[in-house]
Amino acid sequence: MTDWQTDVSDGVAVIVCPARVSMAVAASFREAIAAAAVQAPKVVVDLGPTTFIDSSGLGALVSGLKTCRQAGGDLRIAAAGEQVRTVLKLTNLDRILRPHDSVEDARRDW
Amino acid sequence: MTGDHYEIDGLAVPDDMEQLHDLLEEASAQHPHVPAADVMMFETAVMELANNVVEHGRPVGQVAWHFRLEVAADSLTARLADSGEEYAGWDAAATHDMPGEMAESGRGLPLASAVLDELDYRREGTSNVWTMVRRWQA
Repeated sequence: MTDWQTDVSDGVAVIVCPARVSMAVAASFREAIAAAAVQAPKVVVDLGPTTFIDSSGLGALVSGLKTCRQAGGDLRIAAAGEQVRTVLKLTNLDRILRPHDSVEDARRDW
Repeated sequence: MTGDHYEIDGLAVPDDMEQLHDLLEEASAQHPHVPAADVMMFETAVMELANNVVEHGRPVGQVAWHFRLEVAADSLTARLADSGEEYAGWDAAATHDMPGEMAESGRGLPLASAVLDELDYRREGTSNVWTMVRRWQA
């Protein structure tokens, strides 16, 4: 079971992801985003530690994006590595989840 | 060193997927001639196919799989065989259809086929067999 570290400050929740965001953790990832959105619907997903994401992890991101938007906020992703960026591009998800270079960058102007 | 192969067995449950990551990592470390970007994309495809077996394998929780990886001078080939009931959902053409951006599922096989040079499914006796190939310029 992955513990999802979430920090809320200045109205923005930041969730730090593990090395692999895959099927084994997708359900708890989805729940972690929903729980964060209750505290602050502006959510930044920090993918800095993540070297691998699969389609179930991507599904959790899309679900989280919808949850945040329904709560009047949004979801941004930060510090995505090469595998994550490539997979986002191949699935066209880079159109709705534009990668920000860093958490600070994602929080800027929000 | 080329022409090597690796084999591993597991159960079609999410927790058994980690050993596939570990095996690919080990194979990659032992074969520095394989470009890192190709390992990365091959791993992406392998995990999507394995996830597909976990998700659709019947009876749920009782499907066993056998994975074989072959490392050649210019390609990676994987054969994933599972003991589940015949997979009825295979449609080679449909694997290319990426779902819309707001969909929460359905990206697995399109993503795998996007990063592979070959993706094939066939029923062999009592097994479902998935073959995956990725090539590069050696």
